[in-house]
Amino acid sequence: MNKKTDVLIIGAGLSGLMAAAKAAESGKKVTVAAKGMGSLSLSSGCIDLWGYDIDDPQQVCPNPLAQIARLGEVNREHPYTKVADVLEESLRCFQGITARYGCDYRDNGGANWLLPTAVGTFRPSFLAPPSMAVKDLDKAKRIVIAGYEELKDFYPEVMAANLARNGNLPESVNIAVVKLRCAWKKLYATTLAHRLEQAEGIKEAVDQIKPHVVSGTVVLFPPVLGERLDIDVAARLSAALGAPVYEVANIPPALPGQRLQQLLLKHLRNMGVDVIIGCTFTGAKTEGNRCLQVTAEGAGKTFTFAAQTYVLATGAFVGGGLDSRIGAVREMIFDLPVCTLEKWASGEFLSMNGHGFNRFGIAVNDRLQPLDEAGQVCLENVRITGANLAGANGPIEKCGNGVALASGYKAGKLAGEVPS
Amino acid sequence: MVTERVQVVVIGGGATGTGILRDLAMRGLSALLVEQGDLAHGTSSRFHGLLHSGGRYAVKDKEAAKECIEENLLLRRLAPDCIEPTGGLFAQLPSDDPAYAETWVKACAEAGIETKELDVGALIQKYPVLSPKITRAYSVPDAAVDGFRMLWSNVNSARRYGAKMANYSKLTAIHQTNGRISGVELTNTLTGEARQIECDMVINAAGAWAGEVTTLAGLDVSIIKDKGTLLAFNHRLTNQVVNRLRPPGDADIFVPHGTITLLGTTSVSVDDPNSFKTTDKEVQDMLAVGREMMPRIDDYRIIRAFAGVRPLYQANKGAGGRAVTRNFALIDHEQRDGLTGLISIVGGKFTTFRLMAEKTVDLAAKKLGNNTPCRTKEEPLSAPQSAEMLERGKKVFGVPGAKKAAERLGEGFAKVVAEAEQDRAKRRMFCECEMVSAAEIEYVADDDDSKTLSDIRRRTRMGMGTCQGIFCSYRTLGAMSDHKQFTVTHREFLAEFLQNRWRGVRAVLWGQQLREAQLSSEIFCTLFGMERMK
Repeated sequence: MNKKTDVLIIGAGLSGLMAAAKAAESGKKVTVAAKGMGSLSLSSGCIDLWGYDIDDPQQVCPNPLAQIARLGEVNREHPYTKVADVLEESLRCFQGITARYGCDYRDNGGANWLLPTAVGTFRPSFLAPPSMAVKDLDKAKRIVIAGYEELKDFYPEVMAANLARNGNLPESVNIAVVKLRCAWKKLYATTLAHRLEQAEGIKEAVDQIKPHVVSGTVVLFPPVLGERLDIDVAARLSAALGAPVYEVANIPPALPGQRLQQLLLKHLRNMGVDVIIGCTFTGAKTEGNRCLQVTAEGAGKTFTFAAQTYVLATGAFVGGGLDSRIGAVREMIFDLPVCTLEKWASGEFLSMNGHGFNRFGIAVNDRLQPLDEAGQVCLENVRITGANLAGANGPIEKCGNGVALASGYKAGKLAGEVPS
Repeated sequence: MVTERVQVVVIGGGATGTGILRDLAMRGLSALLVEQGDLAHGTSSRFHGLLHSGGRYAVKDKEAAKECIEENLLLRRLAPDCIEPTGGLFAQLPSDDPAYAETWVKACAEAGIETKELDVGALIQKYPVLSPKITRAYSVPDAAVDGFRMLWSNVNSARRYGAKMANYSKLTAIHQTNGRISGVELTNTLTGEARQIECDMVINAAGAWAGEVTTLAGLDVSIIKDKGTLLAFNHRLTNQVVNRLRPPGDADIFVPHGTITLLGTTSVSVDDPNSFKTTDKEVQDMLAVGREMMPRIDDYRIIRAFAGVRPLYQANKGAGGRAVTRNFALIDHEQRDGLTGLISIVGGKFTTFRLMAEKTVDLAAKKLGNNTPCRTKEEPLSAPQSAEMLERGKKVFGVPGAKKAAERLGEGFAKVVAEAEQDRAKRRMFCECEMVSAAEIEYVADDDDSKTLSDIRRRTRMGMGTCQGIFCSYRTLGAMSDHKQFTVTHREFLAEFLQNRWRGVRAVLWGQQLREAQLSSEIFCTLFGMERMK
């Protein structure tokens, strides 16, 4: 099957979906094709921009935008330096889209939020959905951590033990653990989320939590407050309990990320974007430094896609955009040169330097076009976004979703400017 | 300070030491086993887990080959829950000397090892992973053995006969009076506390550390420390052990274990018995040899690389590595050095641990005036699980979960099943790769022998499967909260646990394993900020 489109986005993660949203605004015919549903569901669901101070990486960064503006001085290869010009407008665009679908991602007045996680650490993040944007935890009189007995991946006692140790909470705050029972036999995050969308699920939880709520209580939940975007479980619980209820970041499956993905997909549908999931890309046909078409297999068919602009948003190793053998790394569709480092990994898993492999990726110019070793553009109608980009140390810098959002936006914007 | 008294102190919680403890106890001698770390933290858990048929040694070391086949057949009967009778095969490639096959078949026959020539075409059809170039192949009675389980079975059986065990206890002094052993000093490696034990005899079964032990008595036993590196594949490549039909060399044995396969090993002389580090070159060299037997080996995922140190003994120094005999030696220090009450048992291999124990305890018992004969050839190590208990287990843990738990837990299984029947939350599988339930983790955590969280990992296998602990390490935090003996913080626990896994993973960081590593850093750093956790 041959498909023609103006803009082909390969990959359905945050950067791909943002690229599609922005390119669609310009009136282009946009297609998103991806192998799977992208790794947004593995992420927290928040937009982390820049977590810690450049000069003192133990200190939480008070003003991420100002720090990123300085990044060019200290790390010229960082992907943020290629997208700094659109960073703020990309955030506004994202907030505009999410607000339109009733899930307005909130900033903290230009500062990082410090949001609690399931292990009781606090993660710096720039934008958070309402269900996660915990306000004034340090002013709470009582923190109730509610967890379900049979839910495998949330241990309220663990969170309680570490909250006080890791946060700047006053000694007077009272941290209580409530272990909830659920009438259902098998409890997974998704089944629980579904139950909490029903009135009886809410009632079941409220009946058990209510006795622990006093004035000044904040209730923290695992990230299971509903599967669907249009049912605001956190708000329903808050109203019934008379206390604010938030969900905290936890290991996958994490529903806030899935909800964000749904939101963006819904937006793309409304914008007339064609989305094809289940497409495994097998290669590209190029001529000189232009890509003519890419091929894919899916549903027993072979597809060829021809487009003006191709956006490579396939992610790194987890996403499947990059693969490796001993001593060699490959980009899977265009066979673009991948920047690697001699040292792939640190000796300590939790090293503050992070691991070399997280920085691997494709070098680009300011227009997000891929570069070869000599700094020449390899394919001028291909743009690279998100985790495909070289030079970010996401797990340590806390910038993964921020880089994805801004680079996706920029790629979409550039694609929209290409004359038909 | 309280001074305790036993007749015999055994140093070294490996296969030999635990085998000796059991034998001593069964003959009515009071004994204490001393281990510096957890049971099997040394060589007995850092090998390829092959219960040798003896085929590997048949040509060069007939004595060793005979011992292997005899012990192999015995242990299958005595400890069926520790052994998977996979069978093995020896296969020859065009680059191997074709004349070796005849020599080998003859030598096997002389050692009592049953071999049968196989139809190569049918063999390759059965295991397409094998090289189509194989010229000849023979079956042998090799098997896979779970070292850790075997050791615990020994200790549990010994305890039923009144023996004692002290793990995390390092031998810090050997006391002697007038040329006679009078006792030992132990230091708890977790608390630093010292403990004095009076005894008539010390048996040194410390394996690669045996030289360190005799040094404390002012004597010299020279152990050749020979490091072997192993690779763990996340697949069962074949259902049988695969050996190369040629004189023993590096990377020529594949052993299936549960769902994985181990490829081993190298042979490098080292100075330190704690040399567990693997190098990139060792890994790549091994793969190069492994590829000859299984050409598509690179398509399979490798989950980790690790190393162990073989304690080899050569009475007259000079030889090294593969030239040194795999046979064992019993050293009577009374005879050799004039120190009464010290015996060293050195060299040997896992497969013959029971025999080594028997010979050692024969000598020890004679010296202590005990005439009870050895019974470890007759008495099984543990009673089989009852069918009724297995049925109950299946209801709470499912069929594969119950089977695995029953094998791991032995007598503890009944208790774990009962707990899970009572409390639904305890049926949760904390480790999905190895099917370890919350109830099992709680049970092991409650045990006095579990002093660190790594002990829980070793005894349950939690975190040792495909995901290498990404999810279950976090889940175990939940189990920790109720067990105050684990004094570490959650940060320390996770850091230690993840680092232990990382050591092995880092050596094989490509393909699917690199993907997993990136996912781990996403979870523990991006999501949880563990690198900055307090």
